[in-house]
Amino acid sequence: MLAAPRAALRRIIDRVLFKLGDSEPGETLLTARRVFIVPSRPGLAFAVLLLLLFIGAINYSLGLGFALTFFTAGCALVDMYLTAKNLAGLRLAAGHAPAVFAGEPAHFAFQVINRGRRDRYAVWIDFQEAGAPRHATDIAAGTSSGVLASTLSVERGWLAAPRVRLTTRFPLGLFRAWAYWQPDVKALIYPFPEAEGPPLPLHGAASEDGHGQVGLDNFAGIRSYQAGDPMRHLAWRQIARLDPFLGGQLVTKHFEGGATAELRLDFDQLPATMDLELRLSRMAHWVLQAEQRALPYLFCLGRDEIGPALGQAHSAACLQALALYGLERPA
Amino acid sequence: MNPDLATAPASSPAPAPLGSGVAARLHRLRQLPRDKADTLLLILSSVMVLAPHLTHLPPWIGAMLGATLLWRVSITVRGSRLPPLALLMPLSLLAMAGVYGSFHTLLGREAGVAMLALLLAFKLLEMHAKRDLFVVVFLSFFLLLTNFFYSQSMATALLMVATIVLLLTAQITFQFTGAMPSLARRLRLAALIFLLAAPLGLLMFVAVPRVQGPLWGLPGDAHNGRTGLSESMAPGNVSNLAQSEDTAFRVRFTGPAPGKDQLYWRAIVLDEYDGRTWRRGRSGRSWQQNRRGIDAAELGATGAALRYQITMEPTNGRWLNLLDVPNQVPQVENNQAVASEQLEISTLYPLDQRLRYDGSSVPSHRWQIGADQAELRRYLSLPSGFNPRTLALAERMRRDDDQAGAVDAVLANFRHDRYSYTLEPPLLGRDAVDQFLFDTKAGFCEHYAGAFVVLMRAMAIPARVVTGYQGGELNPVDGYLTVRQSDAHAWAEVWLPARGWVRVDPTAAVAPERIALNLSRALPPRAPFGLQALGGMIGGFQGDGPGWLASLRDNYSALNNGWNQWVLDYNPERQRGFIDQLGAALANWRSLLALPVLAALALAWRWWRARPRLDRLDALYLAFCRQQARRGHARAPHEGPHAYARRLRGSGAKPEQRDAMLRFLAIYSAIKYGVASESQKSAALATLASLLPRSR
Repeated sequence: MLAAPRAALRRIIDRVLFKLGDSEPGETLLTARRVFIVPSRPGLAFAVLLLLLFIGAINYSLGLGFALTFFTAGCALVDMYLTAKNLAGLRLAAGHAPAVFAGEPAHFAFQVINRGRRDRYAVWIDFQEAGAPRHATDIAAGTSSGVLASTLSVERGWLAAPRVRLTTRFPLGLFRAWAYWQPDVKALIYPFPEAEGPPLPLHGAASEDGHGQVGLDNFAGIRSYQAGDPMRHLAWRQIARLDPFLGGQLVTKHFEGGATAELRLDFDQLPATMDLELRLSRMAHWVLQAEQRALPYLFCLGRDEIGPALGQAHSAACLQALALYGLERPA
Repeated sequence: MNPDLATAPASSPAPAPLGSGVAARLHRLRQLPRDKADTLLLILSSVMVLAPHLTHLPPWIGAMLGATLLWRVSITVRGSRLPPLALLMPLSLLAMAGVYGSFHTLLGREAGVAMLALLLAFKLLEMHAKRDLFVVVFLSFFLLLTNFFYSQSMATALLMVATIVLLLTAQITFQFTGAMPSLARRLRLAALIFLLAAPLGLLMFVAVPRVQGPLWGLPGDAHNGRTGLSESMAPGNVSNLAQSEDTAFRVRFTGPAPGKDQLYWRAIVLDEYDGRTWRRGRSGRSWQQNRRGIDAAELGATGAALRYQITMEPTNGRWLNLLDVPNQVPQVENNQAVASEQLEISTLYPLDQRLRYDGSSVPSHRWQIGADQAELRRYLSLPSGFNPRTLALAERMRRDDDQAGAVDAVLANFRHDRYSYTLEPPLLGRDAVDQFLFDTKAGFCEHYAGAFVVLMRAMAIPARVVTGYQGGELNPVDGYLTVRQSDAHAWAEVWLPARGWVRVDPTAAVAPERIALNLSRALPPRAPFGLQALGGMIGGFQGDGPGWLASLRDNYSALNNGWNQWVLDYNPERQRGFIDQLGAALANWRSLLALPVLAALALAWRWWRARPRLDRLDALYLAFCRQQARRGHARAPHEGPHAYARRLRGSGAKPEQRDAMLRFLAIYSAIKYGVASESQKSAALATLASLLPRSR
């Protein structure tokens, strides 16, 4: 019942206190203003210890006891300064975020850059929503360190990287300093491919020609493997004769001619009564199927026609079209 | 993250082959996995915390601590499992029982320290999470404090600093998640933290308001083993004090210090004698019945008062020392001082802390000149049946019409009748005064004072024994006069008509150098441990060595006194005084002027640090552009050096000026965008600098 006002309060605090705003393109400098700090749990225990030392020093009138208390308190204050300094001055940059299918974890690469003269140790970095941070990194002076953080993708479309939180307790662990960063990076999330979908719609042009399977006839010998050749076309018998590690080569079966009749994956052919997301899911499933079986395919989605073609670039274009179907395209 | 808590016996290094030397073992130690090295560091810092406690803990606890730590080290090095709780619980209960057996309590200071030390050792055996590490480090900090019950010397402070740095290092070590710098660098980081903390600590030490303890009743054993004067005098107790070189108190005079023969620090008056022991008389003279002030009329001061400040070491007694005789009762922080009728100054509560108070005394006076004869009669009483020979002597020397002359005669007798002064007098029997005066003729100040008062009383002159301290050593470094326990002294006071109570020191008649100099000079040096050579070596520290040793001793003493004044005894009163002084020092115009200057300097330094750091080449180029801008040919923001050069070519400059400009820009772009070695670059910079004035 209180969830709504609490969320509103949280938003106000985020905006006013933590100055959280829009995503920050390019390299972001963590200024001292952006670093927040509170005592950690051991830090609170340390405060109690200081109080005990102080009382002990008073009670027994120990001059050196006062010195111990105050110098130790001074060390805690210095620790507070150094902990904040361990984050302040770092620069952050977002890297590449590869596309994934909905439901898979989306990985975001970040760079933490240290242009200063001090080494930074034990900086924890993760998405704020992850709770306890999972990645710790050290950044020596004048170097940078890469971190791969992941978050679970839910819907197709563009997934903006969630807010990142950097945390550190270095050097003494008595304080916890943290800073927020909204990276300007998005990952493309493809629709979830239907798990047990119907087979490829191979009735059509191909079957008219009377060929059983498109593109698999007219074996024309072997050639050396090229990146991108489908696994199923590898000439395993030839490869097995000589272990690749012993100088053997990967070779691919080469086919010529065959059915020119194309596989057509047409979104509009799917019954309009089906759920939109399910139709997109099925299309994704078919794209994967066609790629797996190395059948060139023409991809039709609304007014867009892609192909016919085969290969990673083609499938990526098709899946992107599926991912963004009905959503506004990013500028 | 856990310190070698992962208990994988498989990771334990193979046993070293027989005969592999220490070097191999050291090498193995260096090869230890990181978590093990971390744990060893923590154990080492615990050893540093526990070691000073071994001097006062019962031996069995020391042995137990050592065994526990060794056990922990062997667990770490061999990588075996930590003992289960089922083993640790009975062990710690057993240790608690042992503590109870040794101290007959589990509370109290000594038992508490023992328990804490054992707790730390056992906690090292029970570390399962990062939290436990913090517990160990925090416990160590607390044990560090308890060590100050026993010693607060400068050496202890140095040890404290070293231990703090090591503890910080251990704490830092457990914070690393990935790469970890070498131990030396971690130590340096810890030392840096401490150095940065030092000014803050100092500021807090000076400025945080102090509360005078204790906050609650201290355990009975809180103040053990203090020395001081006692309230009775039998042959032997002052000479016990005389063996101690401990400081009794330190004095600073507001004006010049009086001569040594005037430095009688009065504490206790003894007026009852039972034939063997002198005691404070009049049983009913309790604290409440003492007067709270000093009657100036009764004292009859005849000269100016001397003012001074005394810092007195704790005695656990209640007697304050003041210069003979005080004319004011000092104000004592959190305590209350009163004067007795005999001008002894005592306090309401025992003096269990170092105490600072201001004193005021009048050396010349006519104290109780109009005293009632009946009142004086109790200073004439002697036990009957003791010392017949002394009484007979007194009868012979008695001169009722000239009591002052009688006093002088007795003193002259001491001086000329081969009496001697010794710290180790022969033992005396029942008629102690008789034996001393007629047979042994050798004794210490208490013998002389006691015998003198007996003689006086036998001659019907009111007399009493006063104990306190005499003399003191002036430190030329800081101007403090140090009075040691070895300066404890006893003298006499006699009441003479028309003069009142007069101080008479019979010891001065026998050993005048004891009064004029110090005790250590008055006595022939005794060989320590019976070794004459050793005596020669430390002779300087007995006060008669070469000058540099004496000055070393003065410097050390001044340092020690500074330590006492500013560290150990920095109490609320001192704090107020210091802050007032600071306020006064800051309130003049020079200091007020200095503050904005300092602030400006700090700002300038900040600006200097934050200034954009230009390459020398770019700086020259900027200077060139500014110069051309003054000519009316400012560089457009989009213009590179080539385009700029093209434009400047037609800017109507004189030919040699134009050549300089174009050469400048050509060299600039060649160095800026081309490949140039360091030497070429520095040569080009020199050329550019020389071209700059010619292109103006």
